[in-house]
Amino acid sequence: MATVTYDSASRIYPGTEKPAVNELKLDIGDGELLVLVGPSGSGKSTALRMLAGLEFVDKGSILIDDRDVTLTPPQDRDIAMVFQNYALYPNMTVAGNMGFALKQQGVSKEERAKRVMEAAKILDLEEYLDRKPKNLSGGQRQRVAMGRAIVRSPQVFLMDEPLSNLDAKLRVSTRTQLVDLQARLGVTTVYVTHDQVEAMTMGHRVAVLDHGVLQQVDTPRRLYSAPANLFVAGFIGSPAMNLIEADRSGDELHFGSSVVALPADVQADLKASSATRFVIGIRPEHLSNAGGGLNSNVTVVEELGSDAFVHATIQHGGGDVTIVVRIDGETTVSRGDNMPISIDGPVHIFEADSGKRLGTPPE
Amino acid sequence: MTDVVQDQSVIVDRSDEVERIAKKEAWRRRLPILPALLFTIIVTQIPFALSVFYSLTDWNIVSGVDREFIGFGNYGELFGSSLFRQAAWTTVVMTTASVLLSVFFGTLIAILLDRKFFGQGFVRTLLITPFLITPVVAGQTWSTSMLNPQFGVVNWLLERLGKDDPIQFAGQFPTWTIVAVLVWQWTPFMMLIILAGLQGQDPSVLEAARVDGANSRSIFFQITLPQLRPFLELGTLLGSIYLIQVFDHVEVITGGGPGSTNLPYFVFQRSIGGGWEFGQASAFSIVVVIATIIFATLGLRLLSSLLEE
Ligand SMILES: Nc1ncnc2c1ncn2[C@@H]1O[C@H](COP(=O)(O)OP(=O)(O)O)[C@@H](O)[C@H]1O
Ligand SMILES: [Mg+2]
Repeated sequence: MATVTYDSASRIYPGTEKPAVNELKLDIGDGELLVLVGPSGSGKSTALRMLAGLEFVDKGSILIDDRDVTLTPPQDRDIAMVFQNYALYPNMTVAGNMGFALKQQGVSKEERAKRVMEAAKILDLEEYLDRKPKNLSGGQRQRVAMGRAIVRSPQVFLMDEPLSNLDAKLRVSTRTQLVDLQARLGVTTVYVTHDQVEAMTMGHRVAVLDHGVLQQVDTPRRLYSAPANLFVAGFIGSPAMNLIEADRSGDELHFGSSVVALPADVQADLKASSATRFVIGIRPEHLSNAGGGLNSNVTVVEELGSDAFVHATIQHGGGDVTIVVRIDGETTVSRGDNMPISIDGPVHIFEADSGKRLGTPPE
Repeated sequence: MTDVVQDQSVIVDRSDEVERIAKKEAWRRRLPILPALLFTIIVTQIPFALSVFYSLTDWNIVSGVDREFIGFGNYGELFGSSLFRQAAWTTVVMTTASVLLSVFFGTLIAILLDRKFFGQGFVRTLLITPFLITPVVAGQTWSTSMLNPQFGVVNWLLERLGKDDPIQFAGQFPTWTIVAVLVWQWTPFMMLIILAGLQGQDPSVLEAARVDGANSRSIFFQITLPQLRPFLELGTLLGSIYLIQVFDHVEVITGGGPGSTNLPYFVFQRSIGGGWEFGQASAFSIVVVIATIIFATLGLRLLSSLLEE
C-alpha cells in the first residue's frame, strides 16, 4: 500500500512552450481512489504517465510512499497501468497477458498459474484464459487489462480512461464493479477520465485539471456544492450550472430584473473586488417555478420521469439568456408557456475574467 | 399508432430479381481483370507448358538430330548426375545462408533505425542503395573493386593490418563470396520489411510491457519479435523465391567456378551456355521451379516453428 505525491511536477513537451502539466501539487492517500478529470487536452494522461515513468518530469518531483521516483524507470516503480486501448500483448493468450509481469519478476510457473486463476475468477475470465486478445469482445479485453493489473498486487493502479471504449450500458455496470474491486483490494488508484459523471460517481476525491493546471481537489460532494472557480462550476454537474454574466451596479448584481441576495462574505468580496463583470452561477435545481418575480419563456422540456429540465429564456442585461430549471416531473409545462421563476438555493458568484470565486465556500 | 401489414399477398417476392442483379454484378467485377489474366496466361503458363514439353524430349540444337520424345529420360538422368546434385546442394547452401543472414542483419539494422534521430531519412536512403544496384553491377563492384586479390579494397585493408599474402576470395571461397555479396544486396530489402513491422507496433503495448517490469531484452524477445513474425515470414518467402534463382552474381563473380554453380547457372551451362541440351536444361528448370516452391514452403514452416516458442 502506498501514498502518492506530486510535488510541483511539470512536464513541458519538447518543442512546446506551455507545460502540458504545470506545477501539479497533489497528495493521494493510501488506498484512495483519486480521479483526475478535465476536458480533452488538459494534461490528464500526461500527469498519469509522469507517475508511471513514461514521461519525463521536467520540474518538481514525484514520490511513491515518500520514495522519490522522479528518475526511476517504469519497470522499477511497482505500479500497474490500464491503458485506454488496453494495450494487451497481441501474441499472448489471456493467461499469458495476465502472467507477464509475474514472469518478469521470476515468479514460478505454478505460482503464476495460481495467481492468474485467482484474478480470472474475480473478473469472470476463467473460460477465456487460452484465448488471444483478438478473439475477445471489448468488455472482455477491458477485464483482461484489469486482470493484468490486479494479478501483480502493485503499490499503485493507474487507469487512463479504461471505460471509454465500452458501450454506454457496459460502462455504467463496469464502473460500479471497478469501484467495488478497488475498495476490496484497497490499492491506491489514480483514475483518469474526461467524463465528469464518471469522476463524480467513482472518486473518493476528484482533481479537476484545465490547461495543465490543477483547479480544485475535493470530494465529489464539495466539488459540486462549492466549486473553487468558474471553470469547475461550469465543468462539474449535468446539466451544467447556469452561468449568467452580470455587470455590477454599485455593489449589487442583477439576475433578470431582480437583485441577487448575497451572503455577507460574498458581499464583502464584491466590495473589495475591482472587477466590473461577474458571473452568477445557479444550479438548475436551485431555480424554482413555484412562483416568483422573473418571467421566463419555455423553449424545450426534457422529461426524465421523476423530474424534468426546462430550458427557458429570460430577459437579462438587455437581451435574451437561456437558463435551465429543474422542475417536478408531475408539473406539466410545454413550449411557449410563460413560467415565473425564482432563485431557491445557493448562488455562486465569480469574477468573469479571472474566474475567481467570491466569498469563502461553505464547509 | 403504426400500421402493421397483415396481408401476406402484398409482400413481393424479389429473389429472382436479386439473383439476376447479383450475377450481373459478379461479371462487372470480373471483367476488368480479364485482360490481365489473359496476358499472364500467355506470358507465364504457355512458356511453362512448353518447357514441360521440351523437358520430355531429347533436343540438342547443334547436333542436327531431330527433336525426339523420350518421356522422363531427362529427369532420370538428372538425378543420376553428380554435377546436378552438386548444383542443387550449392543452391540450398547459397539460398539458405543468404536469406537467413540478410534477414538477421536486416532485423538488426531495422531495430537501430526504428528510433528518432537527426538525419534519419538520409541514413535510411543510404542504407537502401545496395538494393537498388543492378545485380551485375553489384557483382562486378565486389569482385573487382572490393575483393580482387591484386587491387581490391579488402585485401588492401588486410595488408595494412599486417596480412602479407592476399586472399583469393572468389577462388578460395567461391560460394561464400557470392553469399556475402547477396547478403550485402538483400539486407536493405529485409530491413525495409522489418522496419515496417517495427513501426506498425502499438507503442502503448511496449509501454505496458515496461510498466509490467520488462527490460528492453525481454520486450524484444517476448513482445516485438513474435509480432514481427508475419514480416519475417514475408521477407523469407520473397527472399527465397528470388535468391534461389540467382544467376548474375554467379556469372560475374566466379563464372560458376569451383563448387559455386547453382541450379540456374547449371541450366544456363547445359543450354545456351555451351551445352545446347535444351531438353535436359528444360527438365532442370522444371525441377528448380518445384524446388523453389518446396524450399519456400519449408523455409516458412521452419521460421514459424522457431517463432512459435
Ligand atoms: N508527445 C507529445 N508531444 C507534444 N505534445 C504533447 C504530447 N502528448 C501530449 N501533448 C500535448 O499535451 C497536452 C496534454 O495532453 P494529454 O495529457 O494527452 O491530455 P488529456 O489526456 O487530458 O486529453 C495536449 O495539449 C497535447 O497536445
Ligand atoms: Mg488522455
